[in-house]
Amino acid sequence: MGWIATTVDIILNSLVLGGIFLIMGVGLNIIYGLNRVMNLAHGALYALGAYFGYTLVAVGANYFLALLLAPIVVGAVGLIIERVLISPMRKRHMIYTLILTYGLMFVIDGLIKLFWGQETRFIQLPEFMQHTVSVGPASYPVFRLVILIGIAAVVTALMLLLGRTRLGINMRAASSIPEMVSACGINVRRVQISAFVLGCILAGTAGMLAGPLFTVFALMGHDILISSFVVVVIGGLGSLRGAVLAALLVGFVQTLAEFFVTEMAMVMVYMLMALVLVFKPLGILGEGKFE
Amino acid sequence: MNSTATAAPGGLIFRALRDNPRGKLILLGVFVFLVILPFILPNRFYVRLVNEIMIYALLAMSLDVLLGYTGLLSFMHNAYLGIGAYSTGLFLMHAWSGSVWLAMLAGVLCTMAVALPVGWVQVRTGGLAFALLTLAFGMMFFTVAWKWYPVTGGDDGLMGLPQPTLSLLGINLASSGNSTAMYLFTLGVVTVCFLFTWRVIHSPLGAVLEAIRENEERAAFVGINVRRYKLIGWMLACGLAGAAGSLYILYRGYTGPGVMGAFEGAGVLMMVLLGGMGSLWGPLVGAAIFIFMKDFLSSLTEDWEILVGIIVILLVLFLPRGVAGLPDLLRRTKAE
Repeated sequence: MGWIATTVDIILNSLVLGGIFLIMGVGLNIIYGLNRVMNLAHGALYALGAYFGYTLVAVGANYFLALLLAPIVVGAVGLIIERVLISPMRKRHMIYTLILTYGLMFVIDGLIKLFWGQETRFIQLPEFMQHTVSVGPASYPVFRLVILIGIAAVVTALMLLLGRTRLGINMRAASSIPEMVSACGINVRRVQISAFVLGCILAGTAGMLAGPLFTVFALMGHDILISSFVVVVIGGLGSLRGAVLAALLVGFVQTLAEFFVTEMAMVMVYMLMALVLVFKPLGILGEGKFE
Repeated sequence: MNSTATAAPGGLIFRALRDNPRGKLILLGVFVFLVILPFILPNRFYVRLVNEIMIYALLAMSLDVLLGYTGLLSFMHNAYLGIGAYSTGLFLMHAWSGSVWLAMLAGVLCTMAVALPVGWVQVRTGGLAFALLTLAFGMMFFTVAWKWYPVTGGDDGLMGLPQPTLSLLGINLASSGNSTAMYLFTLGVVTVCFLFTWRVIHSPLGAVLEAIRENEERAAFVGINVRRYKLIGWMLACGLAGAAGSLYILYRGYTGPGVMGAFEGAGVLMMVLLGGMGSLWGPLVGAAIFIFMKDFLSSLTEDWEILVGIIVILLVLFLPRGVAGLPDLLRRTKAE
């Protein structure tokens, strides 16, 4: 036991945390890459995913079923948001969509408080996930391992979607030269809308995965939103590979900081971000997509 | 008092007065009205409400320098109000409570000292990353104010603040606990800050900032050091926010981490949007509308943050230029 167990613990924890950041950051990046919209309501959608999941489990659905269904509901919400709010703003300067989604964040947060109340909720997990299992010298909660596997599954599915399917290829192409893709006879608008919905689905998934981890509460989206921004900014805006690297880095630093300095852990994360930006203003793998 | 203060910065303001006498007369009228107001308002509550409006008007104006003139978005400008408030309060409590001006100076300098490294990092990135960074750094300051118990008092905030004697133009008014004295003091400081900012915005420096807002690349090509001027705009905005913070803690006699929260930051942004970015007087009107509205809505319903969010969305969709854009909008619809 002793320090080896602690090390294993820290590594696994930072992988879990980094994985959640990864799903959030990639979602933000996909939305940004195709729509040039930085979605500030992403954290609120994440909370929405967790609350939908909580309700599904509370009415008797299995956790895994809820893990599949809740993100789809969030995706539907995302579709409505895109059609009603984001679409009319497409021609305007980015500052307006930024402020718009900021307002949207407060609306969703407020609605969550209205429907589910202020108190903290706990997602009921299946029996087998409530135990611990020994990983090397450390004993580790099963549900965290399941979440880790869930994250791996989501990331694999995302890689397959972006790498192997028609839609994914269209998305990647449209993120660099939308006019060219349009000239090839592909409906770019539809690709952009699906990118927005995909981002929202990812936010919902992250919320559902993180629900058992951090408990479900009305303002759960705020902290994760800030952390996801840190990931996106460190990794480089619009860069998926950068987001992967940055998510793991931030997850690791935050876990370590929580272990050593507890209260001020987030301050360390912001310091990390400031440090990266001093040397690489566009992020680690930034492609100069800042506007 | 107003005319002597405006004459000092030189002929420019005289020229503006000649060019747009009606606008200036309205401003002068508003100023005179505000001076008389505490003596004719019977209800102390409203004197304090107008006082709060003036403080937030200063904060909204400082954000407008950044958003409307330099084209940079700061989500949590209230963090710098908070830093100004805390540092002024700490100065009064632990250093010297004899001079209110020295305490204010300490607050502003402290705010700028904190804002300098933050701004230096922020201006190295582009517009969007800049906005995200303001959110991250703002949350960082909020966390520090909230958790650094020995210095900031944590959740409880700064308590047991001494009430210094306020002085204006060499005349001692009364202690900061007196609502009329505090009101006049606030009015004096906000007026000076407004005239100062007005002067800066209408100077070559202001023109450079607007050039950066309009087209950063082109500004760089004509030889403007974009990063340096963005930093100057940022420092100006943060210094003014720090002044607003000093006034805030004198007015409240207390400050907690709550003023630095993300939701409060959205409120400041909304004041600027309501009033209209890119016009110095717009945010002042916006602050007045917002605080009256908040006072009204929060007495009606507990879920007023939903209403605030909806209003922000509607504003962005239908009235992106705020109240300041209304005359223009009306003119255009009439012409059609």
